[in-house]
Amino acid sequence: MTTTTTSLRDEYGANVMALADALTSGDDARFLEELDALVQRRERALFGELRKLTGDLQAALDRFTLDPRLLTLAEKEVPDARHRLDHVIKLTDEAAHRTLDLVEQSAPLAERTAREAAQIVELWRRFRARKIEVDEFKHMVERMDAFLEATRTDMDKVRGNLSEVLLAQGFQDLTGQIIRGVMKLVSELETTLIDLVRISRSGLRNGETPSDELRRGFGPAVPGVNNGPAVSDQNDVDALLSGLGV
Amino acid sequence: MSKDMKFLVVDDFSTMRRIIKNLLNDLGYANVVEADDGQTALPILQGGGIDFLITDWNMPGMPGLDLLKAVRADPKLAKLPVLMLTAEAKREQIIEAAKAGVNGYVIKPFTAATLKEKIDKILEQRANAA
Repeated sequence: MTTTTTSLRDEYGANVMALADALTSGDDARFLEELDALVQRRERALFGELRKLTGDLQAALDRFTLDPRLLTLAEKEVPDARHRLDHVIKLTDEAAHRTLDLVEQSAPLAERTAREAAQIVELWRRFRARKIEVDEFKHMVERMDAFLEATRTDMDKVRGNLSEVLLAQGFQDLTGQIIRGVMKLVSELETTLIDLVRISRSGLRNGETPSDELRRGFGPAVPGVNNGPAVSDQNDVDALLSGLGV
Repeated sequence: MSKDMKFLVVDDFSTMRRIIKNLLNDLGYANVVEADDGQTALPILQGGGIDFLITDWNMPGMPGLDLLKAVRADPKLAKLPVLMLTAEAKREQIIEAAKAGVNGYVIKPFTAATLKEKIDKILEQRANAA
């Protein structure tokens, strides 16, 4: 005989015997009385189990809402991450357009210089071979003057544009920092979710680890993501620093 | 200080280091060395010969603020001009950098003109103080 059977016999044995006796002797009232007692006994055990389950569920929910890190992640940092990634799209979009604009501005200047030079080279060859008329020579000198002047202006412009193209590549640093931040958040979210699974079995984990963001840095300021008061441009920085005597 | 003064550019993004290096070259400063965070920058600085430090803030390993503090704490480097060139834009950070002894602070994205202006200003202040 197994232990379960033994405990069942202990718990219900007397009841069942009484029930069988009442049935055999045809005592209807006693039979119903014993049946009620049996059902009540069974229900009590069931309610006990149910109460325990409800208690566990409540505790798990309490822990869920009590975990401060999870709350911050869900309420602030995940929406922030969306803003951050939007900002990455905006920065890459701007940089790509800025670069394309500058290339489109520069290409015709370089083309014009090459085309004009090619035409002057033709005259210049004839001049070197002493096969040029006086009128043609005058014409060449005039074109040369105009060409040198235009080339200086155009190439200054191209040089400036190249410098701007160079600066536009700064987006890679800014977006890289933002993406790193989001990657960190994703891995933290992963850890927190794993923790949550554990929490449903064991006790509360300790709260947040102290932040050293100020020392390490917050990354680029992102519109819509608030880390506290930030300056909006270089003028603000200059004003703040001159106020501090730097 | 002349155009052959030696710059150390510290940034964890190689693209940004190239940009700064190119801009410095445009300004006539051809002598530029690079490091990718405070930890690699510090031995270069301690090795001597660097006349101007341009550093990012947010870097893995040693951040720029810690590098700045280490520089100011080293008697041989304490007077080195330091320009912070960073995307960190919180007021408390700029104040923190000023307290730590930064000489200039430029926020990214920046322009070539701003970089030139800040370098010139720092060098001018040096010349006047000397």
